[in-house]
Amino acid sequence: MTGLLEGIRVIDLTVWFQGPVAAQHLADFGAEVIKVERPKGGDQGRGVISVKTMPMGDWNQYFLVINRNKKSIALDLKTERGREIMYRLVEESDVFLSNLSPEALDDWGLDYAKLARINPRIVYATNTGYGPQGEVSKPSFDMTVQALTGLMARLGEPEQPPVYLGVGSGDAYGGMMSALGILLALRRRRTTGRGQKLDASLYGAQLFLAARMFQGFLATRDDHYSKQRSRRDALNPLWNVFPTQDGWVSLCVENTDEGWRALCKTLGEASPEQDTRFATPASRRSHGPELVDHIDEVLRSRPTSDWMERWNECTIPASPVRTFAQLAVDPQAWENDYLVETHCEAVDRTVEVRGLPVRLSRTPGSVRSLGPELGQHTELILTELLGYSWEEVADLKASGAIP
Amino acid sequence: MTTEVTPSPSSASTEAGRALDDVVVLDLTRDFWSGVGAALLADFGAQVIRIETTGSRDREADGRGGGPRAGARDHLSDLAHRNKLSLDLATETATGRQILDRMIEKATVLVIDGTPGEIEALGFPEAELQERRPGLIVARGTGFGPLGPDRDFPPLDELAAARTGMMPLLPQPGQPPIYSGAGEMYSALMLAFGVTLALHHRDETGEGQIVDASLLAGNMYGASLDLQAFLAIGGEQLLHPMDLMDTGNPMSGTMYAAEDGRWVTLTMPDTDRWWPEFSEVMGIDPVDPRFDTHAKRCEQNGDVLIDCLQDRFRQQPADHWRRIFDEKKLSADIVEEFTYPANDPQALRNQYILDLDDSDRGRHQSLGFPIVMSESPARLDRSAPTIGQDSVRVLNDLLGLSKQEIQQLVADGYVS
Repeated sequence: MTGLLEGIRVIDLTVWFQGPVAAQHLADFGAEVIKVERPKGGDQGRGVISVKTMPMGDWNQYFLVINRNKKSIALDLKTERGREIMYRLVEESDVFLSNLSPEALDDWGLDYAKLARINPRIVYATNTGYGPQGEVSKPSFDMTVQALTGLMARLGEPEQPPVYLGVGSGDAYGGMMSALGILLALRRRRTTGRGQKLDASLYGAQLFLAARMFQGFLATRDDHYSKQRSRRDALNPLWNVFPTQDGWVSLCVENTDEGWRALCKTLGEASPEQDTRFATPASRRSHGPELVDHIDEVLRSRPTSDWMERWNECTIPASPVRTFAQLAVDPQAWENDYLVETHCEAVDRTVEVRGLPVRLSRTPGSVRSLGPELGQHTELILTELLGYSWEEVADLKASGAIP
Repeated sequence: MTTEVTPSPSSASTEAGRALDDVVVLDLTRDFWSGVGAALLADFGAQVIRIETTGSRDREADGRGGGPRAGARDHLSDLAHRNKLSLDLATETATGRQILDRMIEKATVLVIDGTPGEIEALGFPEAELQERRPGLIVARGTGFGPLGPDRDFPPLDELAAARTGMMPLLPQPGQPPIYSGAGEMYSALMLAFGVTLALHHRDETGEGQIVDASLLAGNMYGASLDLQAFLAIGGEQLLHPMDLMDTGNPMSGTMYAAEDGRWVTLTMPDTDRWWPEFSEVMGIDPVDPRFDTHAKRCEQNGDVLIDCLQDRFRQQPADHWRRIFDEKKLSADIVEEFTYPANDPQALRNQYILDLDDSDRGRHQSLGFPIVMSESPARLDRSAPTIGQDSVRVLNDLLGLSKQEIQQLVADGYVS
């Protein structure tokens, strides 16, 4: 199978999560991604040993999954000869991607102006923390940037602490933004013949992540969009999460008389249909907390499966609130390739990984290998792609430019 | 009415060519997220024509009750349909459908949403589409993907989020599961990414294809690292909420209340690197023997350090802590509300947020563009159209219909 992006070569000078996952999306669709790593230790993601206080187990899924389908070259960019190799790579590549700080890139002679002189067709993509313009240069980690967006502060019940969306949630979004930006720049290059510089920052991406509420806030400055709001005080009390005897359900019933009657029919004897407080859409809204309390009490009387059976029968949109354990065996996730199995060389067995989030009917993505070993392809890239002789390779080793 | 928008002064190269200038997109979407997916294409130059059908108007009555208050503008449409044209067409009639088919002949991309069953029922069966227009890219936004036993479940983000396994992890122990609303934004981006990939293939070969993005996939990718960790190592910790402070490192992933009730958050996983300066600003002796190694700070005496930090943070308001974090370039910040980014010069400078001024609304703000490009940047050419605002223009420009022909279609009720 030919990959969609075959013939596109990407230099991936990235570490941790956002940059690597951006390149992963391109690699999944067939781009040749060459990960450039420092000889000592490589990408810091290789050193992750625990997640949420749990040891990683026998394979580093943090690193290996987002660096899948890539090659690795180990280069010491602090040496002149290491940089020379990088410049040769730039000559031969379409994309240069980095999430290192702009200062580090400048120090190593890897700024856009320099690389564009070497190869005017290069697409130069960065992932800054807070955007390429402006003076902000403080450290940027997923959670500290998410904190600034307003997204965390508005989630959860009133008086509860803010809510972080999950490890790497903003990096994952910024990474895909970056991948989209790179494709757009490559397409523009078809017309102009020139590359350009682009940036997808952690801050910019995460502001977009809050769009549904943030757009309303920007237009109105109304607190209703920005403050925590109890589920008992939902704008539509029937579009909500509710507890059952053995878990929670997510229920999506429109606050119309038709929706109300259909729901009440499924609630049995304790149905609040005759309660005059809940007779109209407006009164259901104004008596929201009492209505939610009432439904809570009714639903707590039976297990989730009973309720789901009733709601499925009359096509009321609802879902149990599931856990990862249920998703991991969900045929919906497997049949659509959102989860896939692949061979992990580190442990020599089949492992389960996040698959392809976008399906293309003719040119689908694929998981061909997990992340490479540090410098696994150094010699291959130097000799086959860049045309170094074996003598020169030995010389580069002796000089410390490569390990 | 839509007005042409005056770009803010910082928006340079207003007339620069863009990556998708030659792409015509027909937008038959009804939901916010898929509309945003098509808007991302419009931001980068595609001519996106929204075909407003009876169905699209029905769906805009948002069951969440979170839409505009009485008399207010529809802010979600402002974002989801900016830079688009609008044609109001009775596609349920034979004549309307014929016009749509002629438009499809001219289009590069068709974006549509719903369940796979609904999309087929609207007259877009997979096989036929590819046969009739092999060069057409058809992007489908579904709830749960094109395959699988539940492909026809209602395409609602709340249901997809519930299925993903992330909702029970977000709250504090004992609190209700949390729907964040972020999942659909991952899905919107995936839709645009998928179309742009397919354009690359089309540019090379002339072939179109079907692109599928879904709410389930978006929510799964949003939960990426937690989900991947569970797949690899399992464990109860990834099935149930964890206490705020139970991160295994008092200096990373934790939050502390400041004197004014606002929250401070820290991300300093490699504590050895940060401890000398951090301890100093917190008023802790850097060589305090209880905390002089990473292991002592995180394991042996983690609880003691948490108590100590809780106590110190409570003594000063959040702004005090921000000043210190900024001064010392510590990896820590304040949990802000939307007011902060709305007023943040950094967000405006990078056009993540736009200050706009137009004739009917005066000054207002909108979300801007998350990707900054030097030569072919996104821009806002026009705000979201009213329904049917561009019917005449679209029929004339795209299909070459005469003024009289269009007037007749309007008179007969096929076009509004």
